[in-house]
Amino acid sequence: MEYEVVMGLEVHVELATESKLFCSCSAKFGAEANENVCPACAGMPGMLPAVNKRAIELGIIAGLLTNCEITRTITFDKKNYFYPDLPTGYQITQLYAPICRNGFVEIETGAGKKKIRIKQIHIEEDAGKLVHDYRTGSSLVDFNRAGVPLVEIVSQPDFRSSDEVIAYLEKLRALFSFAGVSDCRMQEGSMRCDVNISVRKAGSKELGVRTEIKNLNSLKAIARAIEYETDRHISAIETGCEELVQETRRWDDNSGETYPMRNKEDATDYRYFPNPEILPVHISEEWISEVKSGIPELPHEKYERLTKEYGLSDYDSKLITGSKNISDIFDRTMEYVNNPKEVANWIIGDLASIAREENVPGDEIRIDCEKFGKVIKMVENRVINRTIGKKVLQLVFREDMDPEIYVRENRLGMIADTGYLEDLVREVIAANEKSVLEYKAGNQKVISFFMGQIMKRTQGKADPAAVNSILKKMLS
Amino acid sequence: MDREFFASRYETKTDNSFALDDNIMVRGGLTTAGSKMLQNFVSPLQATVVDRLLDAGMELAGKTKIDELAIPTVSEDIFATLSGAAGAVSEGLCRIALCNDVSGKNRRQAPAKGLYYIHPTYGTVSRFGLVPAVSSMDQLGVVCRDIDDGFNVLGIIAGHDEKDFTTFPEKSYSYAPKEGPFRIGIPVNVMEAADEESGNSVNEFAGRLGAEKFELKYFEVLPQVMYILSCAEIGNNTSRYDGIKFGYRTENYSGLNDLYTNTRTEGFRPDMKLATIIGAFVLSKKNYEAYYLKSMKIRRLLREHADELFSRFDAVVMPLRLKDPEPYRNMALYAFATLCGLPSVSIPFGSCGLQLIAQARNENILYGICKGAVKDGI
Amino acid sequence: MDLKTVMEYEAMVKFNLPGSEREWIAEKASMLEESFNELSKVDTDGVEPLVSVLNFNSALREDVSVRLVSRDEILANSPDQYDGYFQVPRTIE
Repeated sequence: MEYEVVMGLEVHVELATESKLFCSCSAKFGAEANENVCPACAGMPGMLPAVNKRAIELGIIAGLLTNCEITRTITFDKKNYFYPDLPTGYQITQLYAPICRNGFVEIETGAGKKKIRIKQIHIEEDAGKLVHDYRTGSSLVDFNRAGVPLVEIVSQPDFRSSDEVIAYLEKLRALFSFAGVSDCRMQEGSMRCDVNISVRKAGSKELGVRTEIKNLNSLKAIARAIEYETDRHISAIETGCEELVQETRRWDDNSGETYPMRNKEDATDYRYFPNPEILPVHISEEWISEVKSGIPELPHEKYERLTKEYGLSDYDSKLITGSKNISDIFDRTMEYVNNPKEVANWIIGDLASIAREENVPGDEIRIDCEKFGKVIKMVENRVINRTIGKKVLQLVFREDMDPEIYVRENRLGMIADTGYLEDLVREVIAANEKSVLEYKAGNQKVISFFMGQIMKRTQGKADPAAVNSILKKMLS
Repeated sequence: MDREFFASRYETKTDNSFALDDNIMVRGGLTTAGSKMLQNFVSPLQATVVDRLLDAGMELAGKTKIDELAIPTVSEDIFATLSGAAGAVSEGLCRIALCNDVSGKNRRQAPAKGLYYIHPTYGTVSRFGLVPAVSSMDQLGVVCRDIDDGFNVLGIIAGHDEKDFTTFPEKSYSYAPKEGPFRIGIPVNVMEAADEESGNSVNEFAGRLGAEKFELKYFEVLPQVMYILSCAEIGNNTSRYDGIKFGYRTENYSGLNDLYTNTRTEGFRPDMKLATIIGAFVLSKKNYEAYYLKSMKIRRLLREHADELFSRFDAVVMPLRLKDPEPYRNMALYAFATLCGLPSVSIPFGSCGLQLIAQARNENILYGICKGAVKDGI
Repeated sequence: MDLKTVMEYEAMVKFNLPGSEREWIAEKASMLEESFNELSKVDTDGVEPLVSVLNFNSALREDVSVRLVSRDEILANSPDQYDGYFQVPRTIE
């Protein structure tokens, strides 16, 4: 019996604004508990919501990137429920007039290209955070995140595999991070995903019982949870060992299973009603055009530019445009070194390997691009050799010191004086007769040995090209 | 005498002082809004209206007592207990007082104390720093002894506030009585239901100024519409009171749910709890369309009716009391102006007083009529 | 409205009414419900609901972060705080 899994996604993305959606508190991640809080987002009475213009703009951009219709007059509504992380006892969201509708995202998996339809995108405020104190048995509430603007992207149930889900999330992430909508970091919670999943016999038109999976904190967890839940559904259908009910389930990454959630979310009556404190927000054609023209270069646009204008390889271009951070480093370094192939090589080769050694993931690489540029230039201008260059880069990465000063103070300048090098080579050849014989017998690897010896004697500063040609000349 | 009217009193002279209902915030002082839930609440904010009055050189006399959160109540006779603001002004303890008159209590009671109450157009005065009752209807108004004084004070507090996006763009207002003659409308269906004394005051007034009869549409369903819409918003505006961030917290709890339910059951008075339950009731999935949505639609019809009325009349006169003493029914008298966000003035005319309502932003017409009425001798 | 229904709404709004109050509310609510049903007599076909009496659109705030009050002021009114957090009994996941 062949089964088909049918899935829809609700993705919450934290918008990259300076301040919160309805008050001027900082929306930045990482502050100490309740530092970014005012009477409004702490649930005190007396303040009134003031709509953040940039949040609306980012909502418009999210809609443009996903080919949605932008609603011209949007309104906000109140959704009522009680939970300690919800300071006012209601969430301001959009039920009746969401900002975007009827879009799509194109994804590509091993199985080919596909369009995932987007039902709607709406803007809403985030809740605070609860931290559990195991010693005292109490819960601690931090409202820093309460009121931070989110967009919720609701897809149609168009997904048929976890590969498609992952491709979609990566695509959203690429689009949104490049366009400045959000940094989409699942580990930091700026992108969250709930999966609605059901299973049916292949070829059937009817949908099976649907369950919702929450608490998916990484792409890996999503893939595992989809696999688990699909199996659970199939098993329930085939053996009847358990009854499938429409419910919300929580993924437990440790046990690798889903469990029904205690608070029956489906049964809650949220008593939605239009928010009279927030007047309708009008989105004009002019504003949409203005916003559209302000969208930074998107990954696929940049890919085109890197391959066509700069002649970078498909592999290199994909790597650079695969991460907003790497792409930014490329752009900024290009301001100092106008040589795209060199910059690409240094990033993909040297910088990437340094980051790996230091255990820093691509998105978190931080480097002063002016200094990076200086290193590249020094190598280009034969002030230092490539190997020294990489060592200096490593120090710039770790300690952010000025490479030119460092090279000068430590006298790392490249040794290219032919006379001096010829003397050195003669010395090394003379001291290693056996190796010379091996070379003459046909062992090319001896050149590396001699090169190593020269480098040792010059503390790595010799010009490798010069040494190579001298060696070849003298050994022939 | 003070204690009867004041929730908290400040040391001041009275000739240039104002009192605030205790739902209007003063930084560093208590703002209890007449509720146990806020019994120890010290606000870090100050209401814009307070800033403006203080900047104009007035002094704060104190905070006057209010019914819990100033909400419209239907079980107790809200109109029986005296408004702290009206009491304080009438006893000469302060010159003027500010209130949120969603319930109509101040409009009803001011004239009995020989006072005026000015209820401005919704959107005229900033609500920043006001503990909200019904957000789409709350508006701060002025209790005063002298109508010129009242409009002068309104001119000080009114005007756009960038901290309240629901205020009109006009930066400031300066009120001056408009010249008559005025076309006054008198609602016959309302007058039929009015109590005798109240009706007489209105008829006397109508007689002096001349008034044309009209039928106030939807009057019979105004209590329902008012109560349904109010309860939904009140229930929502008070869901933040949970004993977690500030305010009253029960001593009797073992887990989170108890904390919520015991705090909220102990902290609110019965009428408030009734309003909250009704609020949930009218917003529930089952009932939203028949009650809440329906009321919002009738509110629109009422507003359109008001537009039509005020194309014929400059102002409409209304009695202050119905024959039927039930507070629920009497709400209808104040609901017309409140639901439509219209300005109204209650004046101590005749033995009972009356209220005048004008089109939105036409306070000057009301001012003009009042001056005329004063001329005619109140 | 019967007592059972009142209890359903109580759960929604986090009340736990003593019996006498619950009865009183049930009584009042039933009368009000009857009164509310009068609304069906008004013809509202094709009428747009009115949410706010104001007829202008929302202003928009520039996206600048501003600190309004200190953390101490935020926590000052709290009945129970710990290390900068508001403290509540354990929530159940």
